[in-house]
Amino acid sequence: MSTDMKTTPGTTATDAVVVATDLTKIYGEGDSEVRALDGVSVSFPKGQLAAVMGPSGSGKSTLMHILAGLDQPTSGSVLVDGTELAGLNDQKLTLLRRDKIGFVFQFFNLLPMLTAKENIELPMKIAGSTPDPEWQATLVEATGLGTRMSHKPAELSGGQQQRVAVARALLSKPAVIFGDEPTGNLDSKTSSEVLALLRRAVDEFGQTVIMVTHDASAAAIADRTLFLRDGKIVRDAGHLSAGEILDTIKTLE
Amino acid sequence: MIGLVLRGLSTRKLRSALTAVAILLGVTMISGTLVLTDQIDRAFVQIFEQGNSKIDVVVKQKPPFKDDQTEVYLNADLVTAVRAADGVQIAEPYIQVQGYVIVDGKPMDQTGGAPSFVFSSVSEALNPYTPIEGRLPTASGEIAIATQIAEKSKAKVGQSVTLATQDGIKPVKIVGIVQYGDGTTSLGGSTTVLAPLIDVQNWWSLQGKASYIYAKAKDGVSADELKANVRAALPQKDVIVQTGKENADEQASVLNNLIGKIIRYALLAFAGVAVLVGAFIIYNTFSITVAQRTREFAMLRTIGASRRQILGTVVGEAFIIGLVASVIGIGLGLVFAWGLNKLFGAIGFGLPATGLILSWQTVAVSLAVGVGITVLASIFPALRATKIAPIAALREGATLPVGRFQKLTPVIAIVIAVLGAAGMVFGLTSDADTTSRLLTLAGGAILIFMAVAMLARFIVRPVVGVLAVPITKVAGGVGKLASENAARNPARTAVTAAALMIGIGLVVFVTIFVGGLKESFTGAIDTSLKSDVTVTARGFGGSLPAGVLGAVKAVPGVQTASPVGGTVVQVNGQSLALIGVDPTTITDVYKFDWNTGSDTVVQNLGAGKALVEDNIATSLKVKPGGTIKVQSINGATATFTVAGTYTDPSILNGIVVEQSALKPLLQSNATGLNTVFVKEVPGSNADTVQAAIEKALAGYPTAQVQSNAQQKEQVASGVNTILVIFYALLALSVMISLFGIVNTLVLSIFERTREIGMLRSVGTTRRQLRAMIRWEAVITSIIGGVLGVLLGIMFGWAVCKGLESEGLSFVFPTVQIVIFLVLSIVAGIVAAILPARRAAKLDVLEALQYE
Ligand SMILES: Nc1ncnc2c1ncn2[C@@H]1O[C@H](COP(=O)(O)OP(=O)(O)O)[C@@H](O)[C@H]1O
Ligand SMILES: [Mg+2]
Repeated sequence: MSTDMKTTPGTTATDAVVVATDLTKIYGEGDSEVRALDGVSVSFPKGQLAAVMGPSGSGKSTLMHILAGLDQPTSGSVLVDGTELAGLNDQKLTLLRRDKIGFVFQFFNLLPMLTAKENIELPMKIAGSTPDPEWQATLVEATGLGTRMSHKPAELSGGQQQRVAVARALLSKPAVIFGDEPTGNLDSKTSSEVLALLRRAVDEFGQTVIMVTHDASAAAIADRTLFLRDGKIVRDAGHLSAGEILDTIKTLE
Repeated sequence: MIGLVLRGLSTRKLRSALTAVAILLGVTMISGTLVLTDQIDRAFVQIFEQGNSKIDVVVKQKPPFKDDQTEVYLNADLVTAVRAADGVQIAEPYIQVQGYVIVDGKPMDQTGGAPSFVFSSVSEALNPYTPIEGRLPTASGEIAIATQIAEKSKAKVGQSVTLATQDGIKPVKIVGIVQYGDGTTSLGGSTTVLAPLIDVQNWWSLQGKASYIYAKAKDGVSADELKANVRAALPQKDVIVQTGKENADEQASVLNNLIGKIIRYALLAFAGVAVLVGAFIIYNTFSITVAQRTREFAMLRTIGASRRQILGTVVGEAFIIGLVASVIGIGLGLVFAWGLNKLFGAIGFGLPATGLILSWQTVAVSLAVGVGITVLASIFPALRATKIAPIAALREGATLPVGRFQKLTPVIAIVIAVLGAAGMVFGLTSDADTTSRLLTLAGGAILIFMAVAMLARFIVRPVVGVLAVPITKVAGGVGKLASENAARNPARTAVTAAALMIGIGLVVFVTIFVGGLKESFTGAIDTSLKSDVTVTARGFGGSLPAGVLGAVKAVPGVQTASPVGGTVVQVNGQSLALIGVDPTTITDVYKFDWNTGSDTVVQNLGAGKALVEDNIATSLKVKPGGTIKVQSINGATATFTVAGTYTDPSILNGIVVEQSALKPLLQSNATGLNTVFVKEVPGSNADTVQAAIEKALAGYPTAQVQSNAQQKEQVASGVNTILVIFYALLALSVMISLFGIVNTLVLSIFERTREIGMLRSVGTTRRQLRAMIRWEAVITSIIGGVLGVLLGIMFGWAVCKGLESEGLSFVFPTVQIVIFLVLSIVAGIVAAILPARRAAKLDVLEALQYE
């Protein structure tokens, strides 16, 4: 993780975790055709926290879904940790998600009947593997939940729930973590706790995070900021301050 | 994953419990039925084991064909040959007949149509009865009575009483009170009388006859050895030699076929209905919960759960619900068996029973059905859950994708309906055996129920549209909301209603079917009988004493007394009734519905000629002029030329011949007189004449004198008893479907929590909210009720038309149908109580914030 990487967006690096080439996604046909993505090529190196920004309807979610293998592009290719997603059947995609991808959702998406701890362990349970206890302890510590680990989601605040969700995504040490507006449902204080955890995941644990966000202050913690408009990447910058981000957004709208 | 399933179940306690109840009641019925019939089975085995415990070898007559309801007798003289066989310590002839003792004018007979027995008394060395007071009867005119009679009648040893026999009332003296075996079981319940062989032979026209010859071996000779020795001594082909054990097993299985098996299959059929209804509810509940959990399943998929794991979660949940419900159901089955036994006792069909028996077969069958059906019903919803794309976790308001299968629903439903209709037509018209016809009929009905359930969703919106008008009038805005809610998810409303439809449909069908049966009997009395009074023998299979005919003829005011007798015969392997009539008088009391022939044909019938009921002629493939060869149960055969055919599936349903032609074909003790049709002198007072006949027959207690109206009443009361039992059993299925309504409402209220909070916040009162939920339930139950009534009428009509030639007529039960419809509305209101309360209790603020 050279500082170099934090400032220069890598596009051809061999250690890229996610590589997208010439992605297009077209919804509908004829008159109602919508080009949600229109020739997007982008690559994310390991150990980077990238923020994807853009006005509503610019294709942010579509891009993330396709990068994560949740949706198929109309054309173009996606490589996740060296695996080409095109042509993978459901079973292979499932295994890929299990091993290589972590998710953090806007609406936490924790199971209400499980405790925080159990929610964190859930993906490993599903995969039938046992988490590394040391790693788990580290993550539990990182969430700062302490004794609240045995509480059900309903008894936790939004920020706490989202930190549980981040820990859940981290436990299996995936190649990349995707976040769709991970702070979209939080106030600024709890937002910053969650963002700090994501930052730590990258800096200390060497994780790769790609998040879609609306929030300039969230994007300001990223190593790299991508701006989308009308399905195209219109700016691919390194770390930007909140002010710089807001300026860029203004020019886009 | 199992942990996840368990956790899910425990957080959704109410839902899981309601779902479990849906299957639980069906399993209860299955296990209860099996427990009860095991009890009956075991009781029969015990009874006959005790009856044969002192007997090593039994000799009996081999009938030319099997007829479980007809007794056959053998020559009592064979006892000489048996006594001469090696190893025989003692051998005696034994007879069992139907009759009862009368104490202080009160007949000590069985109620509910079960036979009351008189047994000839054998030596104590062979006798299953032991005197606990006095002794066994030995001399003519002595009897011993069972302890139960002694208790009931307060009769004492030494008391003089009378015995109802085939030859009229005989004065007898009680010399002993006897107990059967060790006193824990009884044969024929409380009515057994022992009398000396000679009296039984004389009073039941069985001179020189015996039911069995019992033999006991000398010490050191085994039953099997003795059997071989007796067989060697009796080379006759028409005689069966068995060990006591073999005889006990055979007797138990004969009785079990007559009673236990019928009860078993009839009850299992109703249990099957309950399980089917339960399956609908489970299917519906799982469909709803899967839809509600779309996001959860999608999330599990994004974090790496495979489709199989999703399938596993849903099916696993079903498995556990099924398992828990089955285990509880098996336990409740014991209670159910106990209750049924009491119920049968209360309506006069007292069944013998031992302690409750829970066999491993009962457990296995109950578990297999309970778990199997629950899992099966959950599979479609589970498969739909696997179709949820992981991306649904990230999309707002994601809903369950529409499956390919779903789009084809109407086509599939129509195919199923056509198959079902074909099954019903086959069941009604084919000439396969009764079991396979009944099974295809039932299978066809189930398929039609399923098809209607699948198609019902298409009528929900229009029907609700129609119902909304009056409901809005009655309930205002709340009614309008309720209608909209019911129509919001037509598939859900449809399946919920379909569960009720099955119960109501069968209730209507049973009403029509049983009503048709009743009508076929009572209608036949109206159309076929010209007589005013009928004399029959009380109890089944009973002959009237020969003297009855003369006694009736002598009564002033009697114009014609026409005797009718009968016996069972076989023609081409088919068991039929051979009916003997008096050709000179029968047309005065009975109106033949001729196909070919005329009253003159009967009047000049003559020996060697027969009239054949039309259905029987068809199944025997004989036409007038053709011949039929009958084989009697007594071994004799006879050939008749068909002189005519007539239609009467109820009263004279068989082959009609002259009385004299019947005589040689009767079993040993039959008098050839079963019924006397009496026509009064025109203008005489019917009541007076009937009273005079009753008085003239006072010496024949087994003779029963009934006017046509009384006969009809008897049929009606029998029919009503059957209907009550059917209704009670179907009520369980209807109850299960109510749980379905409760379940659907609870689930949809849960889903609409936020919406309900909104309604409350804008000023809907708790009362209005409850009314809204209630109307939703009522709409569902009206749809179920109406569909059920329509299907029930259709099934009833089809079955009545199909069996028209067998006398069934279709009667439209208007009053009952109105009652059933009202009841289904009431059912909806009852089902809404709990859900309505829950909805009304929701805290407005919390509900609004609910996510
Ligand atoms: N399932 C879909 N069907 C049709 N159009 C869609 C679908 N999903 C997204 N779109 C369209 O694609 C474009 C990009 O959407 P999205 O990626 O959700 O934008 P963002 O997340 O940046 O707001 C929008 O115009 C949206 O309306
Ligand atoms: Mg979006």
